[in-house]
Amino acid sequence: MARLSDPRFAPDCEIVVDGRRLPARSGESVTSALLAAGRPIVSRSAKYHRPRGPFCLSGSCASCLVRVDGAPNVKACETPCRDGLEVETQNAVGGASHDLLGAIDLLAPGGIDHHHVGTWSQIASRVAVGTSRLLAGLGRLPDRAPGAWPAATEDRFDAMVVGAGPAGLAAAEALARAGLRVYLADRERAPGGRLRCRLDLPGDPPLAWANEVTEAVRRAGGELAARAAAIGLWRDGEVPLAAVSERGNGPRMRLVRAPRAVLAGGTWAQPPVFAGNDLPGIHGARGLLVALAEDGVVPGERAAVLGEGAEAEAAAARLAAAGMAVEHVRVEVARARGGRRLAALDLADGRRVRCDTLAVATPRMPAAELAREAGATLELDPATGAFRVRPGEAGAIAPGVFAAGELTGPCSAAEAVEAGRRAGEAAARG
Amino acid sequence: MAKTLLCACEDVTVDDVRRAFQLGFRDLESVKRYTGLGTGPCQGKTCLAVATREMLRLGATPGEVAPFTVRPPLHPTPIGALASIDPSGLPIEGGIPPPPPPGTAPRPPGPLPARARVVIIGGGIMGLGLAYNLCRRGETDVVLLERGYLNSGASGRNGGGVRAQWTTPTMIRLARRSLEIGESFAAEMGINVWFRRGGYLFLAPTREQAERIEQNARLHAQNGLRTRVITPAEAAEVVPELDRSRFLAASWNPDDAVVFPWPYVWGYASRAGALGTKVLTFTRVTGFETSGRRIAAVVTDRGRIASDVVVNACGAWSRDVAALAGVKLPNEPVRHEILVTEPLKPWLGPMVSVLGSGLYFSQSLRGEIVGGMGDPEEPVGLDTRSTLRFLARFSRAISECIPMTAGLRVMRQWAGCYDVTPDNNPILGAAGFDNFLQLSGFVGHGFMMAPAVTELMAGWMAGDPPDEIFERFTLDRFARGTVSREDFIIG
Repeated sequence: MARLSDPRFAPDCEIVVDGRRLPARSGESVTSALLAAGRPIVSRSAKYHRPRGPFCLSGSCASCLVRVDGAPNVKACETPCRDGLEVETQNAVGGASHDLLGAIDLLAPGGIDHHHVGTWSQIASRVAVGTSRLLAGLGRLPDRAPGAWPAATEDRFDAMVVGAGPAGLAAAEALARAGLRVYLADRERAPGGRLRCRLDLPGDPPLAWANEVTEAVRRAGGELAARAAAIGLWRDGEVPLAAVSERGNGPRMRLVRAPRAVLAGGTWAQPPVFAGNDLPGIHGARGLLVALAEDGVVPGERAAVLGEGAEAEAAAARLAAAGMAVEHVRVEVARARGGRRLAALDLADGRRVRCDTLAVATPRMPAAELAREAGATLELDPATGAFRVRPGEAGAIAPGVFAAGELTGPCSAAEAVEAGRRAGEAAARG
Repeated sequence: MAKTLLCACEDVTVDDVRRAFQLGFRDLESVKRYTGLGTGPCQGKTCLAVATREMLRLGATPGEVAPFTVRPPLHPTPIGALASIDPSGLPIEGGIPPPPPPGTAPRPPGPLPARARVVIIGGGIMGLGLAYNLCRRGETDVVLLERGYLNSGASGRNGGGVRAQWTTPTMIRLARRSLEIGESFAAEMGINVWFRRGGYLFLAPTREQAERIEQNARLHAQNGLRTRVITPAEAAEVVPELDRSRFLAASWNPDDAVVFPWPYVWGYASRAGALGTKVLTFTRVTGFETSGRRIAAVVTDRGRIASDVVVNACGAWSRDVAALAGVKLPNEPVRHEILVTEPLKPWLGPMVSVLGSGLYFSQSLRGEIVGGMGDPEEPVGLDTRSTLRFLARFSRAISECIPMTAGLRVMRQWAGCYDVTPDNNPILGAAGFDNFLQLSGFVGHGFMMAPAVTELMAGWMAGDPPDEIFERFTLDRFARGTVSREDFIIG
């Protein structure tokens, strides 16, 4: 079973992966189609040619770069499927599954110190340079020059909100309620953030609320931009200026100026730390749960879930309800085993857990980048190594700029809603 | 399979971070540069916290794990998309990131040495190259002071080009020597700098520029260079992807090269250190003690060092450091911005530069396109922030030059400062005080000149007869009026 047997999830098209046709659903991500087909390898890694598969499934980690219709280094998890879409795996000789250069990893079990290889003589160093150049790089040059992008548009709004998860939605709702035109941008294909995992944790607003907010934003003259990534937050004079790469209705750039900004970009998935932690089949739990909920993707037969707390518990239950044999791992993992895909986890207590999928539900890292660009103060959590934004009153981090939700530290969706609402109301007043 | 990956983009393992830390790369910016973590397509979103946790475990202080600078674009963005932005309405002032809050830099422990025969201020390639060459000449009582981490200044921010295509015999001679040193650097210094002679291709879009490269080529021939002026069709044999309609002729020298700047700096630092130099990072000069026509001691935020000779090798900060001694230099810092794309398989051989716009770009050994472009409206000032305006201007220029690049994604942008002098030539030798030597004013090409210049400077300080550069490039040339302007500055 690779998909839930709900007719909603029935494939309606085919994509072509390395010349082989795979069933897919129009509009779902290429990674959903690959996982549903039991194909978690998309490339080989940059240096050691280790098998690489999508990890975060939500556009942050860059472990799923593929060639799409002749364009290199495209994130498979951000690429919607359509009939005939040509996908090629990258950085492999003879295909990502059986890459001949995978020998590099085996021959150098302790790694290669590239700073010193070949430095024993001028000839050796010249060979090192030549060889390294040949081996370097991920994708190949595009097949052809792409068509011109439409001219970037420049828009002014009363407020911008980056991130349409619980905090961003609540902020946008408060701003729209105050009669302000809001630009609400989210990197993903639909608003909702972590609510899209459908874990229904205590206090979670229903996902349908995202649509209500979107409507309220529209009624107040604003808009929701999905598949829209803010690539930087500058200022034009005093006014915050965001450059946004939108992929929703054909790719284009938007420059958005708004005197108020609420940053609610949430968190980035973080990999676990043990030997073999990069094996295909290891995924961020949230990305996996969204693929399950929205595309019916059942990524394998046996799943392990890593992490503590309500979210990890609920994740294990969801995967079990989808028909997977699930083990919730509560002790330290010593190493992952597997060749081209995860096969088992060796635990520190000596047990071995057979699994083809690992859902990582350990703490994520606050997506503090935009807030840092605005001048936010950071605070280190020594337990996780993550830096979170430490905002002032009502989430204020800089003149006109506020932060809310998980980028200020771990919080429940209900708490994020409350923080977002406060930030939105404060921004509306200011 | 026993590797534990810390940065999956660049295949950096937890062991790599431990090794770097043991080698003395203790702050996160340095660990990032030495291991490569956070420099791949995800830009640290998946490794910053893991790296921080590991470094804390190894004993790093909170100041040492300050997170590395955020660099736009936050998500890899196609050059074609950035080129769709009209730069004319975008501000040139300011940019990203805002200046760091004071007091967040690491505080190295321990007292400073009480005295040293030579104190070099500035841990860029000039200062470190000089320290190394002084040690080789037997002067090993050297202390080098750097206010940040190694590679935090222009030496760690430039495009890595080394070319002999200059417009005066002096500069050609220096650059050729630097190329020679670069070629043997890895074997001599024990660290790879990825020196690659891919050549330099200067494109001349106007008749006037075409005449200029003809004239330069004649000078190059007289000085033994293999420079040729070639047609657009011949240039397209070197780089088939070029839009040939955009230039009339090109100046091609196959012997010019690109290197990877960071290990060059580490190589000099580690050899200088092994030979006796004390390289002190995160140590800021705050003033000087003087006695008559001599500087008696250098005062820092960690204490004072008495010294016989003080060298100012601070690049764009040289003017400010000299001012601490009451010495007025005509140098002016001017920001230059630069960016890097995602890595691709090798396709671009040479460094390509377009005369007039100042656009330049090459493919690094890791496969990225690294390129920059000056902005004629850039104001004077010590500013290393990044602008959206640059992303738009650069993207328009490179995709006009090579339309195929519109499909490449920009991964990261940053900025450094050129150290600009009135005649675009360096300032060398004593200024203000008999023992206060200047080694500055290289106007964006200090990195490529340093290997040759520091070798000569160390020789001169050790008593060799002075090379002509120490007679021509003195500070008092501006007062004497014996100035000839170098006009082949790129970027």
